[in-house]
Amino acid sequence: MTRMGMAVDLNRCIGCQTCALACKMQNNVPMGMLWNRVLTESDEGIDGVQGVYPDVEKTYVPVSCQHCENAPCVKVCPVEATYKDENGRVLIDYDRCIGCRYCMAACPYNVRVFKWEEAIQNPNFSYGDPRVPDRKVGVVEKCSLCKELTDDGQEPRCVQTCPAEARIFGDLDDPESTISRYIRENDAEVLLAEKGTKPSVYYIGLNGGKVDV
Amino acid sequence: MSKSVKVNITIGVLVTLTLIGFSALAYQTIHGLGGTGMNNVVSWGLYIIMFMFFVGLSAGGLIVSSSATVFNIPSFKVVAKPATILSTVCVVLAGLFIMVDLGSPFRMLNLLLHGQFKSPLMWDVVVISIYLGINVGYLILMMMKNPNQKLLNAMSYIALPVAILVHSVTAWIFGLQIARAGWYSAIMAPLFVSSALDSGLALLLIVLVLLRTLKVFHVENSLITKLAGLLFIFVAVDAYLIFSEVLTMYYPQEASTMLVLNEMLSGSMAPFFWGEIILGLAIPLAILLFRKNRQRISLVVLSSALVVVGVFCKRFWLVISSFMYPNVGGSPGVTTGQYIPSNDPSVVNSIWASVGHYWPTLLEMLVVVGILSLGVLMFMALTRLIIGKEGVEKTNSEKTDLNVPLQEMPQ
Repeated sequence: MTRMGMAVDLNRCIGCQTCALACKMQNNVPMGMLWNRVLTESDEGIDGVQGVYPDVEKTYVPVSCQHCENAPCVKVCPVEATYKDENGRVLIDYDRCIGCRYCMAACPYNVRVFKWEEAIQNPNFSYGDPRVPDRKVGVVEKCSLCKELTDDGQEPRCVQTCPAEARIFGDLDDPESTISRYIRENDAEVLLAEKGTKPSVYYIGLNGGKVDV
Repeated sequence: MSKSVKVNITIGVLVTLTLIGFSALAYQTIHGLGGTGMNNVVSWGLYIIMFMFFVGLSAGGLIVSSSATVFNIPSFKVVAKPATILSTVCVVLAGLFIMVDLGSPFRMLNLLLHGQFKSPLMWDVVVISIYLGINVGYLILMMMKNPNQKLLNAMSYIALPVAILVHSVTAWIFGLQIARAGWYSAIMAPLFVSSALDSGLALLLIVLVLLRTLKVFHVENSLITKLAGLLFIFVAVDAYLIFSEVLTMYYPQEASTMLVLNEMLSGSMAPFFWGEIILGLAIPLAILLFRKNRQRISLVVLSSALVVVGVFCKRFWLVISSFMYPNVGGSPGVTTGQYIPSNDPSVVNSIWASVGHYWPTLLEMLVVVGILSLGVLMFMALTRLIIGKEGVEKTNSEKTDLNVPLQEMPQ
């Protein structure tokens, strides 16, 4: 069995937002929402710093769907529109979703976004990969680990485009894969481990599994 | 003005409000939920609040009327008809409120085609359907000239546990979610049932007094006093459970729970939290504690209205406060899903929120008022159909003998 997963080395992340925008481009995510966002621990907004000059530092945590093994969103979906596929990805059947948004209430990571109204695209055309399914108004959407690319044996777009090579994609079930070794050797952690969701996205350099709070 | 003119004006106003509400709903159905105050941080709002509120109002009334048979309290049997009509209307409204909340309502059939029974929402669909069936069955039996008593009794024995279950399942929609600090609690189901009991009984009391004033249905003062005593007990239990829950949230001073609690105690949800504590619990308890007050109809109605308002406040803070703070904090937060095109580059930041905010828009309020008006119309129609004529006749006989119990269910 394959269990697709990702590791993000926060010690390498430079907070350039390339992954956030590459994701937006690949998946045709409209204005007003992101499937993948880069957080800082500062309260100054994007690219803010922590501390008081000259003792300042910048740290970043990119957050998208954690593709949990024990996914709360999968359990609560009343119509099985959100499901766990055979490769360990949490996916959404956009033609089945009834838009009840229970999954958004159940997700501890706030990574699901809803199409509240007719989306504004800027530039004004479908810039995404044509294989990525279209989402109508009134459905929930999120990161699919770039299903269209990973099905094809490629890496997700955020992994391909990261200039700092902070992201590693691979099979978590294969103990000899690069990702499995990297997780083992670097004491990787997961976000909100205490919620017991068993994410397939690991972080190196997270300092305890919580951002901010 | 004659009575029929007044009735016609009332119906006219309600029909107009219903039509306005459904026009707003049509607009929402075409354009999506973007016209509501909901966003990606606070992704549920007034519709879900009203859904919970009305499931509770419905369950409360039916629990009281079915207890009459189950626990053999004959004096309560008198109110079975209005209580069941009220509970039927409320559960239909609850169903409507959840339908208008759906982003893709035309796919609702997927609930039947692809039902996934690990979801508490699916449990609720099943339990509410059964519950609605019981209510309708009850009403049909009541409309019969000589209803089968055995069947009626049997129905009561089913209705009571299902009514308790229906609000417990609604509580579990929230209480089983580990993602939300304010919801994830074993006390959620008992708390929902207790607030269903007090708000449901309070609404029933208001309706009974209103029907009596309109000379549609007669109830004795003594019964109102008795029910007001029961209301006191229900409110007291509700207050006890809420205190227990808030103390459990407060004592450990755990960071993510404190964010929710501080929002309730002194933040943007404070008007709703203290609204519930003061209007919904403290004042009604202080009034209803004294027998003298329970004998004054105006004070009973005032306390009942406060209890209903208080429980609404509770539904509001319960849903909203737990959405406000994302578990994964950090800047700039969550993308809200709302984008306002502008040439001003700083506007890009407006898509972000690190703390969620919600306030219902005019669109949501119009839809809610429309559905409520429809509910009142349904109640009026069902009352006329089931107790209408009978009630008037009985009210006429009231003048001759005041001591005869005037409106009683066939025993």
